Amino acid sequence: MTSLELSDIWKAFGATQALAGAAIVVKPGEVHALVGANGAGKSTLSRIISGQVRPDRGSITLDGNPIRFGRARDAILHGICIVTQETSLAPDLSVLENIMLPHLALPGRLRWRRLREKGQALVGELGKEAGLDLDAPVSNLSIGQRQLVEILKALALDSRFIIFDEPTAPLSPHEAERLFAIMRRLAARGRGLIFVSHRLEEIFTIADRVTVLREGKLVEGNLAIGSLSQGELVRLMVGRDLQDIYGRNAGRRAIPDSHPVVLRVRNLASPPMVRDVSFEVRAGEVLGLAGLVGAGRSETIETIFGLRRATAGSVELDGKAFAARSSREAIRAGIGLIPEDRRGQAIVPDFSVRENLLLAHLGARSGVGLGYASRTAAIRDLLALLDLPERRLLDANMLTFSGGMQQKVIMARGLLLSPRLLLLDEPTRGVDIATRSSIYALLRRIAGEGVACVVVSSDFEEILGISDRITVLSDGVSVTTLPSHLVDVEKLAMFAAPRTSAEKTHTVLSDLVARQGGMAYWVIVDAGRVFCFDRVGTDAAADPGFAAGGFPLLAETSIAAALANPSAGFVPSADGARWTLLVPVSGQRGHSFGTVGLTLARPPDGIDAAALSGSIAGSLNEAIDHGMTGAGYAA
Amino acid sequence: MNAENAPAPSPSAPAAKPRRTVLSLLATNIEFRMVVVILFVMLVLSLASPYFLTVKNMLNVADQSVIVGMVSLGETLVILIGGIDLSVGSLVGLSGIVLGLTMRHLGLAESFAVCLGAGALAGLANGLIITYGRIAPFVVTLGMMSIGASLAYVLSGANSISGLPPGLGTLSADTIIGIPLDFWCLLVVYAVCYWFLTSTKGGRTLYALGSNPEAARVVGLRVAAWSVIAYVVSGVMSSVAAIFLASRILSIDPIGGQGLELDAIAAVVIGGASLFGGRGSIIGTLLGVFVMVFIRNGLNLLNVSPYWQGTAIGSIIIIAVLVERVLSGARRRA
Repeated sequence: MTSLELSDIWKAFGATQALAGAAIVVKPGEVHALVGANGAGKSTLSRIISGQVRPDRGSITLDGNPIRFGRARDAILHGICIVTQETSLAPDLSVLENIMLPHLALPGRLRWRRLREKGQALVGELGKEAGLDLDAPVSNLSIGQRQLVEILKALALDSRFIIFDEPTAPLSPHEAERLFAIMRRLAARGRGLIFVSHRLEEIFTIADRVTVLREGKLVEGNLAIGSLSQGELVRLMVGRDLQDIYGRNAGRRAIPDSHPVVLRVRNLASPPMVRDVSFEVRAGEVLGLAGLVGAGRSETIETIFGLRRATAGSVELDGKAFAARSSREAIRAGIGLIPEDRRGQAIVPDFSVRENLLLAHLGARSGVGLGYASRTAAIRDLLALLDLPERRLLDANMLTFSGGMQQKVIMARGLLLSPRLLLLDEPTRGVDIATRSSIYALLRRIAGEGVACVVVSSDFEEILGISDRITVLSDGVSVTTLPSHLVDVEKLAMFAAPRTSAEKTHTVLSDLVARQGGMAYWVIVDAGRVFCFDRVGTDAAADPGFAAGGFPLLAETSIAAALANPSAGFVPSADGARWTLLVPVSGQRGHSFGTVGLTLARPPDGIDAAALSGSIAGSLNEAIDHGMTGAGYAA
Repeated sequence: MNAENAPAPSPSAPAAKPRRTVLSLLATNIEFRMVVVILFVMLVLSLASPYFLTVKNMLNVADQSVIVGMVSLGETLVILIGGIDLSVGSLVGLSGIVLGLTMRHLGLAESFAVCLGAGALAGLANGLIITYGRIAPFVVTLGMMSIGASLAYVLSGANSISGLPPGLGTLSADTIIGIPLDFWCLLVVYAVCYWFLTSTKGGRTLYALGSNPEAARVVGLRVAAWSVIAYVVSGVMSSVAAIFLASRILSIDPIGGQGLELDAIAAVVIGGASLFGGRGSIIGTLLGVFVMVFIRNGLNLLNVSPYWQGTAIGSIIIIAVLVERVLSGARRRA
């Protein structure tokens, strides 16, 4: 029996102990989920498996033989590959050239025809869902398709074990479902897949077995997924209830209208990433900006902060028009930014912690001198608040500290100037779980003091946990803003689906309206509300009482009767003015994608409801499949 | 959690605090190391050559270090922001010629102003093209190096300019407490630069810019403006060097500054600055200038063939930086 086994793996980065006795056993033919909260050591372990990082100690055996990796190349030679979120493709080369890139390093003449045949065979192995053109330049592909190219690259190297590191983060639900189908097929063909994720639904959808890490240690290995409930897995991951991490009491706060609106953004555009974004934040409120990678969330707050030019729309700060031309103006106006990329955008590596902390002060200050002394007392208070040891900290080099510690310093930098509006971009990325919960506590506290906070996060659970309201962005457009207690991860994902994949559903709705008239829409009905993702049609008489992005109570709609009692045929509204047909939509593997509805302002005489439902369901399934395969080319 | 409470010892907080011995200073402080090296070189040279420690030779060394030192100061600012200025040598030649030509018509002070303006203008062109045109500093200043050398020839007709007003010579001939005026100027300029780099917003902006330009921009520092200013200062310092060079030999040669850029870059790098920016000190540069000047002087005194001097100096630069790399690497591991 061949298998890949890692046991008692230890690894420290500087002062941070990333792994302290981690282990995993992967067998061919299985999808093995490696799970844990942020900072549990999942990524470090997968980088060790793929040879990018050398462990301090621990053993790795393949088929019972101990192996040692000096370089990533050694792992590849042993048939182990990693597929990461940030793909390492050469954008100007074609798909085929990228797949065969490792062959370019081999001696001898290249035989393109043979490589092409091999490439086609590999695409065949992924199945028809892949729909990749071998000659297309990689720069034309969507993120999801680039990931497939990475997988093909791994297959071209005859990899027996493939690690998928958080592969679904940038994907729409459709694309994720396609990826899962491909992963299943690869597993069925005897490859061992390691699936790194912290998204529970996905783990239960795709994994056969689970290994759980917490704070670098092995908690449980080789659990069959069938033996677990979601709640049990959460407890294993975090060691306590999820609710505790976000530190909120029962019920989320609704910010009263009496709190003044601090920031109002209207139709903001900053091409190409930000196209039409509107939202507002009140004093004391935490607003989450949710969306997939590439939806324009970071770019939106960078535009507000003056790091990007706005080409259209308006920003109001405290009711007055505000257009920052530089971050300096934004800081002086009382805005703080905690940027997404700590190493790239926040830390000045050659400066001490003290000077890093004072950097925003320096940026906001006018005059020649430094004025550092004027902030000494404020720094002391802040460090006490953040639970940071002042004496040992200030003169030390920033890079000797853990990610969580660095993030606290960067937060302190933003808070030192007492902002009225704080923009936080992925504030807990690469942060250990203990620091994570203290960052959440800090956030609540800042908001409690009346600061308006905007938080960008890719982690839907996190954004649900910390926000009072959530604005969802999709392809640079703000789709809706909802109170966070009304939504769950699934609905956020549906709202956040990229336009390119929603386009096909939109086409189906348009066709429906063209043929039957009235209004067609795509919704989820849940907990007494209807959440509308898309609506087509101009016939006001057929208005169902909600529009795209809306989430009214059933009773507030004009088709409450139909929504409350799902049935196979047309249902008349209470006043008899509208007739509604609802068709449930599900993906290939039975995953629900909500409901498509058609409302007519006339009795459905002469319409065969059953046949129409069938044709809607059919074209939608096709659309979902196409939406998955064709998504990239439209972009 | 351990990481939270037990930060690793860092370079700026020496681990060997209880025993601040000469050895620990040697291991942690680059300036101290360089002073030791300079004293060692002086000792060796004074034993090897009876002329080395004479007043005449020391004055010569002082004169030489003024020229290299002025240019190196500007180069330090540019290298701190992660750039490089290859044009300083040819700008010394060009602004020297400008100085010589204007002195035929104008007084000393006016001519100085025009000369400094010429250097500032060339530096401004460098800075604007590099900062706003987003072209690699190496390319832009390489181009300016060629332009400067060519214009110096064009303006001078490829002849050196002599018959300069004798008043010019007082800059290097006069002394205060036995030390030449130009050397005092060097010390004053370096003191001002030290204050600028350590205690002003502009100085810290240069360091932040070199260390992480994106972070500097995000926190609202005036990144673009200070980047341009660094190149302007570098151009101006070339003109300053040209003035002192002219005052020393009372004649101006269009190729008077040839090769100075290499001495300047070497001095900055020997002084501990990183060519990637963000790291370095003006004291380090000054000491680096002395190292360069002493070594050149020593090679001359020891009658080393000029053909071999390049090899000797090149090797010394590489060895110095290599040793620095090893030492700072060892410190980081500690």
